[in-house]
Amino acid sequence: MGEKITFAVAAIGALGFGTGVVFFRDAFRAAVSLIGTLLSVALLFIVLLAPFAAAVQVIVYAGAIVVMFLFVIAYLGERGEVTTPDRLDRWQVIGWLGVIGLGAFGAVAVLDSSSAPAEAAPATTDVGTPASIGDAFLSDHLLAFEVTSLILLVAAVGAVILARSAAQGEGGR
Amino acid sequence: MNVPIEAYLMLSLALLALGLVGVMRRRNPLMLLLSVELMLNAGNVSLIGFSRLWDDPSGQVFALVVMVVAAAEVVIGLGLVVAIFRSRTRLDVDEMSSMRG
Repeated sequence: MGEKITFAVAAIGALGFGTGVVFFRDAFRAAVSLIGTLLSVALLFIVLLAPFAAAVQVIVYAGAIVVMFLFVIAYLGERGEVTTPDRLDRWQVIGWLGVIGLGAFGAVAVLDSSSAPAEAAPATTDVGTPASIGDAFLSDHLLAFEVTSLILLVAAVGAVILARSAAQGEGGR
Repeated sequence: MNVPIEAYLMLSLALLALGLVGVMRRRNPLMLLLSVELMLNAGNVSLIGFSRLWDDPSGQVFALVVMVVAAAEVVIGLGLVVAIFRSRTRLDVDEMSSMRG
């Protein structure tokens, strides 16, 4: 019962704040709305017995990524706002049909699934602990772990190069 | 698991469709990145849900990898936005069609 209530609250929160992310005109409000979605999803992770993933979600997503968004939004300021809000002028019908079609396809696929186990596996709380996740990372998913470090390195180098070329384009340094 | 996995998958599907609408109708690249974050979170909900369903930590490992990819994507995306913004005045993805700086 408690799980159902928590799921309902988190689902409504995620969808409500997600609608805000998509439909708020103001970039700042959209970014703050994204925090609500991320916290709701973290609540879902806790319900799904994944406390470590929930903690990483709050720290990395709501803590680091959204703060970076807010920083850039504040840095860019209000200038550069585009007056025409909708990119879907001519292709509106096709775009919405695509979204509805994808949703219907996904819903049919979910509700029609016969490969899922009828009953969920018994709840063992040690699946979501940092120890078991680290164990899985360094044994079964070692390649993903190494690729992850490479991705972070490439992103850091790319960010430095982008910032440097932008500074040169401005006439500084 | 009192809530069936289908409920989590439907929620994930709804979040993904919401993010897709955002990616299609926004012109501001910042808002595009926010919508992409929404879609990545939808994927994470599914991954953690399956991890719970099969009682296997692999799904949580995938979700953490997705979070790292999201962080890298935001770093590069925001760097591009700032770099483009310094050279031009308007933020409009439809105008960012040149590859030369």
